[in-house]
Amino acid sequence: MPYQSCRFILENSQLPNARFQAASAIRDAAIREWGILTDENKRSLILYCLQYATDHANVPDAYVQVKVTSVAAQLLKRGWSEFAESEKVEIICQVKQAVQGAHGVDAQVSGINFIESLVSEFSPSTSTALGLPREFHEQCYRSLELICLKEFYCLAKDAAVSLTDKIVGGTASFSEEKICSSAMRIMFQILSWDFRQSADSRDRTTFKPNACSAGIRREATLLKKFERTLVQPGVSWRELLISSGQTTWILSFYATLRQKISVDELWLDSPIAVSARQLILQLCSLTGNVFPDDNGHTQINNLLQILSSVIPWIEPPEVVIEAIRLGRSESEFLDGCHALLSIATLTTPLLFDNLMHSLRPFGTIHFMSILTSDVIKAYVVNHDEKESWMEEALDVLLETWTVIFESSERDKNSITAEGRSAAAKLFNNITEAHLEAASATAYDEDDDAEHFVASVSKRDERLGSYAVIARATADITIPFLLMVFSQHISHLNQIIGKSDITCILEKLYWILLMIGHVLTDSGESETALIPKLLEDGFPDFLEMEQHPVVALSWSIIDYSRRCLDPETRTSCFSPRLMEAVIWFLARWVDTYLMPVVGTNIHIASVDDSMKMHGPQSSKVILLNFSGEHKGELVLDIVVRICLTSLISYPGEKELQTLSCQKLLVALVRRRNVCMRLFSLESWRDLASTFSNERTFFSLNARLQRSIAQNLVCAASSLKDAEASNEYVRDLMGPMTSYLVEISARTDFKDVAQLPDAMYMVICLLERLIGVAKATQPRTQKGVFDVAVTVMNPLITLLEAYKNQPAVVYLIIKFTVDLVDGQVAFLDAKDTSILVRFCMQLLQIYSSHNIGKQSFSLIGVQVEKYKDLRALLQLLANLCSKDLVDFSPDESGSPDIAEVIFFGLHIVSPLISSDLLKFPKLSSCYYRLVSHMLEVYPEKVALLTKEAFAQVTTALDFGIQHQDIDAVDMCLRAINALASYHYREKIAGREGLAAHIVDSQGSNGRLQENILRHFLRFLLQLVLHDDFRMVISGSAADALLPLLLCEQELYQRLVQEFIEKQATDFMRSRLANAFHSLTNSNKVSSSLDRPNRSHFRNNFHEFLTDISGLRIK
Amino acid sequence: MSDEEHHFESKADAGASKTYPQQAGSIRKNGYIVIKGRPCKVVEVSTSKTGKHGHAKCHFVAIDIFSQKKLEDIVPSSHNCDVPHVNRTDYQLIDIAEDGFLSLLTENGNTKDDLKLPSDESLLAQIKDGFGEGKDIVLTVMSAMGEEQICALKDIGPK
Repeated sequence: MPYQSCRFILENSQLPNARFQAASAIRDAAIREWGILTDENKRSLILYCLQYATDHANVPDAYVQVKVTSVAAQLLKRGWSEFAESEKVEIICQVKQAVQGAHGVDAQVSGINFIESLVSEFSPSTSTALGLPREFHEQCYRSLELICLKEFYCLAKDAAVSLTDKIVGGTASFSEEKICSSAMRIMFQILSWDFRQSADSRDRTTFKPNACSAGIRREATLLKKFERTLVQPGVSWRELLISSGQTTWILSFYATLRQKISVDELWLDSPIAVSARQLILQLCSLTGNVFPDDNGHTQINNLLQILSSVIPWIEPPEVVIEAIRLGRSESEFLDGCHALLSIATLTTPLLFDNLMHSLRPFGTIHFMSILTSDVIKAYVVNHDEKESWMEEALDVLLETWTVIFESSERDKNSITAEGRSAAAKLFNNITEAHLEAASATAYDEDDDAEHFVASVSKRDERLGSYAVIARATADITIPFLLMVFSQHISHLNQIIGKSDITCILEKLYWILLMIGHVLTDSGESETALIPKLLEDGFPDFLEMEQHPVVALSWSIIDYSRRCLDPETRTSCFSPRLMEAVIWFLARWVDTYLMPVVGTNIHIASVDDSMKMHGPQSSKVILLNFSGEHKGELVLDIVVRICLTSLISYPGEKELQTLSCQKLLVALVRRRNVCMRLFSLESWRDLASTFSNERTFFSLNARLQRSIAQNLVCAASSLKDAEASNEYVRDLMGPMTSYLVEISARTDFKDVAQLPDAMYMVICLLERLIGVAKATQPRTQKGVFDVAVTVMNPLITLLEAYKNQPAVVYLIIKFTVDLVDGQVAFLDAKDTSILVRFCMQLLQIYSSHNIGKQSFSLIGVQVEKYKDLRALLQLLANLCSKDLVDFSPDESGSPDIAEVIFFGLHIVSPLISSDLLKFPKLSSCYYRLVSHMLEVYPEKVALLTKEAFAQVTTALDFGIQHQDIDAVDMCLRAINALASYHYREKIAGREGLAAHIVDSQGSNGRLQENILRHFLRFLLQLVLHDDFRMVISGSAADALLPLLLCEQELYQRLVQEFIEKQATDFMRSRLANAFHSLTNSNKVSSSLDRPNRSHFRNNFHEFLTDISGLRIK
Repeated sequence: MSDEEHHFESKADAGASKTYPQQAGSIRKNGYIVIKGRPCKVVEVSTSKTGKHGHAKCHFVAIDIFSQKKLEDIVPSSHNCDVPHVNRTDYQLIDIAEDGFLSLLTENGNTKDDLKLPSDESLLAQIKDGFGEGKDIVLTVMSAMGEEQICALKDIGPK
């Protein structure tokens, strides 16, 4: 055993790295051989590590000592459930004495380090893997919380408190300061513990009502966004945390130090300051029944106390921010913001606002408003600089506002008039600051294209937070936005043609985005609803036209419409501004245009609504102002704007992408809107431009795909199935007939190679893909007819373009999407048509590519990979026919399983081992193979010899694969094969016998039959050192049928492995392990579920038993 | 579809033209483009604007399909770019002459004798070995803008 030599290295080596490795070798060895160590061994190892750390506390290269302590902690945890209480007490006692300073400063340092590692090892999120089930970690975690956690906290607290005077007096040594800051870090760490005991026992029902009235929130809202949690240690901690004046001590400690050392700017980042502030923040998030049941009084006091000490960190904001910009550390300021967030999370807005009243002449919300304004001012000015602290501070503050207003959404009166006006003022400041910044940066080069997506989503998130503030005070901010927008429009009108308008365009761009966020929610993947705060925010407006939201919407749409005039368009609709217009319209259409609720329920009450009062009337106005009648006019305008953006802005990809993938999608999303679309001239223009004109061919091909998709999607609103099918056929008619025509030409081979012909083909294929993707039950027939028309032409194209990978890929891709959309609906005849087409495609592709080797061309491998992945997807999609089938049952349908095996037979030879290194391809392939073997093992028996060999070679390769999922799937496939064979054999049938014969391999060596081969391989895999526990389940499942099929070989292999062991002791251990694998737990020779699960359990035991005996 | 676009006959001999125009904005990654007179394959496209409220321009990073050299270009996205006409043709290998020229059989039965053995070591070895063993070999030749290069080899079985 390696312990002696490791100890020797630890004690004598001059190389810190060697000592480090020795420590980790001790850990690995002990964990591996845990079962055969005596209790005495284990205990002495832990004590040795502790002693070592103490003895070497002063040696440089502290990381070695930290490692040794953490080894001790891990070993203690490993033995936590088996050590007797007294043994644990002995170890902990020793640590305790050390921390209390009984053995001098060095021991104290190492004791504190040990507690720190122990707490982090026992906390599930920071624990190290020990090769044990999760339950073990869970158990340790609960047990530590119950037995030791409080004691550790006391120890750390006492250690820190005892040093307070020395540190404040400036007489502390370096290591004493270190002890103090480590002790505070432990306190912080313990308070970050996810307390379970208290959460379980907490009585929520009796606690809530009292507290709520006092303004403390009880919901366990998490501060997750910034990776912090609320601290809820429960009633047993009350004495320690509340009654003993923890908060007072730490606050005054920090304040005194801060005052004393304020000249030293670096001090703010020193360990002691950082850990003190962390502790303060943690105490600030303290909640639950750790506080006495006194109507929240104690907790409010606690918060107030903290708030009053935190204010100096952030007040006055302007001065502090300026100081930070001149070089002071920002950490204290940020912590201050975090404290505000914690307080806001724990209190109702009313209480939050009131807290400050006792300290200052204004409320907390007012203060927040000033603070946020100042941060934003600093932020927009230095937007491009790398000073991320302002961004962080802004994020925290905006989150605080969100927290404040989230709860006020439920109760309107929870914010005072003063608070509301402060919030509205803040929004005005935000708008002004950003408009100023917009005009200052209007001439910048737009070169952040690389980070485009990331920066857009970040920007949207921020605008979304601003919108929360704006909506909370909608009665002030919406009219304000309307005013700002109108002012800029009239300013634009004045100077147009006279001077440069870039600045105004950039401001309008920002305003449009801001208004879009205020008026609408992003609605991604859910139905966009009119924001509730806007519905309720205007109780005083009874006339539709005067409602601010209505007025704002109309003025923007009115302005947008001007882009339809060519002259105005060129002069004042730059591509970028147009992007904002399209983006806005997409969101607005989603939310306000003929909302479904409005048309169904409220339409009857439009007239009545005018007589209604209060918020109800405002709600009805918003639901109806863009209803059926007015809505149709707006819809027409929007469609025409959309068409304009596609035609009149050549080459503006961003803009066109927004039009196709946002606006068009929004237009066809709801059925009632689609129905209106069909009656519009403008929509017919769009459709006929698409079908009959060349204009859209200059768009990016991918965008043509989305246009096709959206145009077809709209058809699902037509009530009559025949009408919608006909619409699809008409839409695509010109294109399909073009494909039919050119593919029928005698000189097609030459014409096809003409570049413009090829480009055209690519565009048409993309459009076909769009159509296939848009298949819905109502358009399914139409789409299938379109597809049938082009099937033969596509085969011709595949021949003609066999050397043009771009075209080939699109043809495959179209087929994949077609099958995906159609297969569930087709009857026997149509299924055969589709299957025949797919097989033809596979065969032709294979004949072109098999045995082909490409050289030194960029991305050839990738092209092949994409093709093959698509082909496998095609097979997988076909496969789903057997699972989901809506078509009437009838005979004559092709046998899907046979088709897939035939397809696999064609595709498999194309997949080289090199290509299987692409993780997605290999997972696609193995998923399909294992699915087929699991579901249709009986078809496997019917495969030709060659095809069967192909399958098993693939499995053989896959089981040695790096990727764990591939191995898992192969094991499942092997399980399926062997189980099938075994069951058939028991029933006296042949099973796979035809395939399972030892054969003479091509190299003349005897090749084992495939089940034997897998059995041998699997045993080796299991016994090998790097066997991965994740696959133990499927390995057990595969092993059982294999060893049942090949009992004789299994016994022989077991003997072989046993004899390979070096000592008698090892041999008997391994023999025992193997014996209990197959004999304990009443494992029988059947393959039913209970038996499999017994075997699984045995197998787990087996893996633990042999953990020390693995082959390296 | 209107009639005009069907007229490939009008350009019946346009196969001889080396490039054709395509709007820069519609050229995609993995497409082809001519940069500095060389036929290239696009490996990266990014768009940006000339000033925030100006028009879009495309930034292409592309690799010369023959020499594998990297080239870059910036084009206003509404302008046309030259796109090379990249053709791949299969020929059956008949003979390797002593001077290193290959003799290839075209589809219509003529021979093509103006292509030299490639310089790429592994390809060279495969062609020579395969030919030496008497295998039937089909070579795919990529041509663009008057240049040619062997780009793939396919073994269609022994003679």
